[in-house]
Amino acid sequence: MSDVYIIGGGMHPFGRFDKSYEQIGSEAAALALQDAGVQWRDIQSAFMARMYLPATSGPRILRKLGSTDISIIDVEAACASGGAALRQAVLAIKSGDVDLALVCGTEKMPRGFMDPSMIYSPWQVELGISQNPSYWAMRAMRHMHEYGTTEDQIAKVAFKNHKNSVHNSYAMYQKEFSMEQILGSTLVCDPIRLLEICAPNDGAAAVVVASEKKMRQLGAKGIRIAGISHSISRYSSDFRCPAESMSATIDNLGPTEVTAQRVYEAAGIGVEDIDCFEVQDTDAFCEIELYEELGLCPVGEGGRLIDSGEVAIGGKTPVNMSGGLISKGEPIGASHLGQVVELVNQLRGNCGPRQVEGAKVALGHVLGAGGNCAITILSR
Amino acid sequence: MAAERIAIKEGLFAGPLDRLDEVHLAGSRCGACGETSLGATSSCSNCGDESLSPVVLSDAGTLYTYTIVRHRPPGNYQGPADFKPFGLGLIEIDDVIRVMAPLSTDPEQLQIGMQLKFHPYVLRTNEKGEEIVAFTYDAVGE
Repeated sequence: MSDVYIIGGGMHPFGRFDKSYEQIGSEAAALALQDAGVQWRDIQSAFMARMYLPATSGPRILRKLGSTDISIIDVEAACASGGAALRQAVLAIKSGDVDLALVCGTEKMPRGFMDPSMIYSPWQVELGISQNPSYWAMRAMRHMHEYGTTEDQIAKVAFKNHKNSVHNSYAMYQKEFSMEQILGSTLVCDPIRLLEICAPNDGAAAVVVASEKKMRQLGAKGIRIAGISHSISRYSSDFRCPAESMSATIDNLGPTEVTAQRVYEAAGIGVEDIDCFEVQDTDAFCEIELYEELGLCPVGEGGRLIDSGEVAIGGKTPVNMSGGLISKGEPIGASHLGQVVELVNQLRGNCGPRQVEGAKVALGHVLGAGGNCAITILSR
Repeated sequence: MAAERIAIKEGLFAGPLDRLDEVHLAGSRCGACGETSLGATSSCSNCGDESLSPVVLSDAGTLYTYTIVRHRPPGNYQGPADFKPFGLGLIEIDDVIRVMAPLSTDPEQLQIGMQLKFHPYVLRTNEKGEEIVAFTYDAVGE
């Protein structure tokens, strides 16, 4: 089967805008088409990742580009929606059904904690077992207990990501914060603080994907999708599902470990071959746990990895060069495609002060409700 | 006549709801894989098998991990109108299951590994006049 390439990418900044979701999404789609050098009428199939938007958001957003009769479907897989949508486009091309597809992620979300009725049962909401950050915070507490990870190490992740965001005009916050400011910011759910957490917001990102044959016909120079995988968590492997209960007898691999194993194997690429990463920093602790689950360090050593400086720009394996979700915010449907656009630009060498020198292989990762996890590996 | 009582979630409790000191958490043990699911359920949350036996979970638990919820939870939260931060924990019971539950003990005193005890209580009265029974965990000795 032929490889699939990203031949263009575009983003609407992540933030809060006095604009409709149709406007935000169609702007990103138009930029991706322009970057690819193709017209909307050339696209044979389109996929819209979104979670908090109404039914048929895809057609509503993309009709702004002109009327069409192609297949446009909405894809929802919680925080991994963008990865699930991109995977559908890759499968459509690999099957031979189409040669050229558009994948867009769009979201427009209210401020503050996410609407709990989307993922929790009514009784959990009544008892207050329904605040997303509390689940991630409980993972952090257990990790600190088992491995001695510290609040300082968690704050260092937020420090790094805020620092990286200064050069990213697509991020909601483009501001550096001191360790004192981060550790002095209000506790949301112990041990996680306000400056260590991502905010739901508005944004969109899109890519144009093509078969190798189509890319050559167009004379485009694409970034190869070396691997893409999406999974949900196995039984009792991640209490951020959100779970009512967990097993005390079965210890299954978590969703990131499972998805990473699948995609590394399919791509024939190991973690040691990857030059830079964009990962789901829902909160700063989560990034520490992901270092371990993606294989950047052994289990329990995530805190020491952030201490080492290896995950900073200029280090051996930079993580979240864009500033991560902590700086960009998390417009859920758009977040993975935003990572992919950042990584395409990294592999093209277009990232200016946040460029990872000589990057050839890059990985994007998202993880959320239901243990939905998606990983995309790109290669130039 | 005392008000009728119902569980906040059907099948969550074992025992008569009009005598709260005889109420415990309910579980369902799978005849195929042996896993215990929370509450009375129709299929095993691990393997999907339907040969389940009801079990009564012990009132004693150990705190596996926790956080402190510092801001009012979103949506239809039924805690005190004057919000106070509270603990939320994953409580290990009988070495087989860990249950997510609010904690009634002083959040600043929480520690992983501490011993806790199941505590059912009346949360509120619904529009039909029925009392809704919910649960929390207390520190042992309180």
